[in-house]
This record gives sequence, C-alpha cells and structure tokens, in this order.
Amino acid sequence: MLLMIIWGVGTVLEILVLIRGSKQKLFHQFPLFYLYLLFVAMDDVIRVISARWLPNHYFQIYWVTQFICLALGCGIIFEIYRVALRSFPGAARMARYLLLFVFGAIFVKTLANSSSDLFVWLAKTSLLLERSLRITQALAILTLVALFAWYAIPFGKNLKGILFGYSLFIAMRIGQFVLWSYSWEQIKPYWAYAETGSYLLVLGIWTVTLWSAQAVPQTQRDATLESDYELLLHATRAQFRRTLARLGWAARA
Amino acid sequence: MNPSLALAAAAAFFVALLLLSNRQEQVEEVEVLGSPGQQTHNRFRSLPAFSPVELANRIFSKDDREFIARTRSPRLQQLYKQERRKVALQWVRCTSREVSRIMRNHRLGSRQSTNLNVAAESKLFCQYVELRLLCGMLLLLIRLFGPHALMDMAAHAGELYQRLGRRMTDDVVTP
Repeated sequence: MLLMIIWGVGTVLEILVLIRGSKQKLFHQFPLFYLYLLFVAMDDVIRVISARWLPNHYFQIYWVTQFICLALGCGIIFEIYRVALRSFPGAARMARYLLLFVFGAIFVKTLANSSSDLFVWLAKTSLLLERSLRITQALAILTLVALFAWYAIPFGKNLKGILFGYSLFIAMRIGQFVLWSYSWEQIKPYWAYAETGSYLLVLGIWTVTLWSAQAVPQTQRDATLESDYELLLHATRAQFRRTLARLGWAARA
Repeated sequence: MNPSLALAAAAAFFVALLLLSNRQEQVEEVEVLGSPGQQTHNRFRSLPAFSPVELANRIFSKDDREFIARTRSPRLQQLYKQERRKVALQWVRCTSREVSRIMRNHRLGSRQSTNLNVAAESKLFCQYVELRLLCGMLLLLIRLFGPHALMDMAAHAGELYQRLGRRMTDDVVTP
C-alpha cells in the first residue's frame, strides 16, 4: 500500500514538473531532460499495464524501457555539458577531451577485464551492465563537475537543479547496486521502497528547482584578461617561472 | 577490509586534514597579522618596502641568525626562531596564494578562449600542482624544522659527503 502511495506521488510529481516546464517554456532550453522525464512518466504506465495484462513479457519490457531510460540519461549529461558550456568554448574543448579520456579509459578497462569476448560479457547480466553504465555516467558527471568548479562556470537555478537531482539519482542507484551485490537477502524486503523513495527525493528537487524559469547567468569577458590563448599562456608561464625562482631561492636559502 | 571502503575513509581523512590545516593557517594568520580590521589598517600603514625576492632574501638570510647567535642569549635565540618561523610561514602562504591567483586569472581567461590548447593547459596544470606542492612542502619543513632547515640539511649532507669522500680516499691510500 505504502509503495503504491509513493509510486502515485512520484507520478504526480513527474506530471507536475512536465506541466511547469511547458508553462515556463523550459522545454526549449532542456529538451533532452524533459524527453527523459516524459519517457519515465510513460514508462511507469507501461510497466503497470504490462505487469497486469502481460505478466509473461514484464521482464523483457522492464529491461527494454530501463535501457532506453539509461540512454536518455546520457542525453541529460550531454545537455548539462551543452547548456553550461555554451558561452565557454575553451572550457568546452577541455571537457570534450577529458570525457573522451574517461570513456576511453573505461573502454580499455572493460576490454582488459572481459574474459575473451566482449559480447559474452555484455550478455552476462542486465543488472551488471546497468551498474557499469551508471558508474560510467557517474564518472562523466564527476568529470564535468570538476571542470565546472575549475573554470568557475556559472549555473542557473534550473541547470543546477537538473545536475544535482540527476547526480543524486545516479549516486543512489550505484549505492543500491553496491548494497544489492553485498547483502541482497537482507535488503530484499526494502529494495522497492528504497528505489522508489530515492527517486521521489530526486523528483522533489526537480519540482522545486524547475518550478520557474531562470536563465543561466551570462558572463561578460573581463577586459583586463588576455583574450588570445597563446598570449595568456605565455603570461601565466612567465609568472609561474618567477614564482618558482622565488620559491627555489627560499628552498636553497 | 573492502578496498573501496578504505579508499573512501582515506579520502575523508585527507579532506578532514586539509580543513584542519586550513583552519590552523587562519588562526596563525590572525596571530601574525592581527584581526581583519587591523590587517586593513596595517596594509595602509606599511606599504611593501622590499621586492618579493628581496623579502625572501631577508626572511631566509642566515646573517640574522648568525647575528642573534653572537649575542649568546638563549631567550633571544628562542624568540628569533619563533618569530622568524611565523614570518617565513606567512611568506610561503602569501606565495601560495599568489600562485592560486595567477592560475585563477588564467582559468577565467582561458575558459572563453576559442583556441585553447589542451596539451598546454594540462602541462600548465601540472606546473601549478608542482608549485602548490612545493609551497606545501616548504610549509611543512618550516613548521617542523624552522626556516633554515633546508640550508642546514644541505650543509649537513655536504659535510657528510666530504667526510665520506675523505674516508674513502684514506682507505685507498692505506689499504
């Protein structure tokens, strides 16, 4: 009964976020996020229908929809990157290379760990695959967040909410997988509550932060800063050399 | 013990240590410079009389130490050690902050550059980390052994090297 209430509240919140997004014209700003949310809302209905009327196909339907959700989730990460770094081509270039490096490292590690055939590993278990994909998403988000912090990228309330909510969702999902793999028997009775409850929390964050539209703050270029990268690099290196010489002197003193 | 759990515990410990050292730095800074209100007052009253290099020269100079040593007053020597350590720590901290400021300006400029060079940026980041580590190492050494520690160590090593060299020569001459 409690589970049904949580599920019902979750669906209401999803619809609320979608309605507010439509009213506030946030669909145009974050199309992939709203597509994801729309699919998740529809997915809930599809799963309930299949559980009631097509119980034999529930497993297949669950995993197909789950992987579509995962793919759309990757779209959210792409959207965060696209919207946040729109005005920062330098930071965007750095993000592309860093993400390429992270994905490359994961791919190489996967190849190294796979027994003999990648497809054998892929087919092992769906749950294992989802866990691996969630970890990949988490690493991508961590890379982006580190980069945003490093380059002091400004966020609007909406983008911050999407990023925080989705990061929390991923973290909770990975936490659930870790718990699941260690002590499935103990957590089995609470698994469904934890899953829907955590998602409810994420939906709560999205409802609050996406209630009204707030544009990403535009940053004006500081006139005192060098605009050409080569000149900027040269100036920074020269200053570092001077400081290093000073510190070297102190070390030698 | 689970490796990931150990890793998380180590990370938490590291963050706690970092926060603690930062807090201690702030306390010591207030001790040296006075409260923020006093600092503003001091800044106007005492404009920098030396260039950064000259300042480093004065702070880490062994002449002052030798001068104090000549007084043969243990109390004065103790006081000198305490004060010079504080000043040296403050100097390294200021340099560390300067490094952060330089990098911050660079980041703010480069984030909007259309021709950012990823390799150069990564190399610069490594240089920045190297500088910060050097500052951290200097802070640690000054805190543990005083501002003249590195020079003393180098002198000691040189002396040791000379002694060893002499002994080896003696061994060769008298088998």
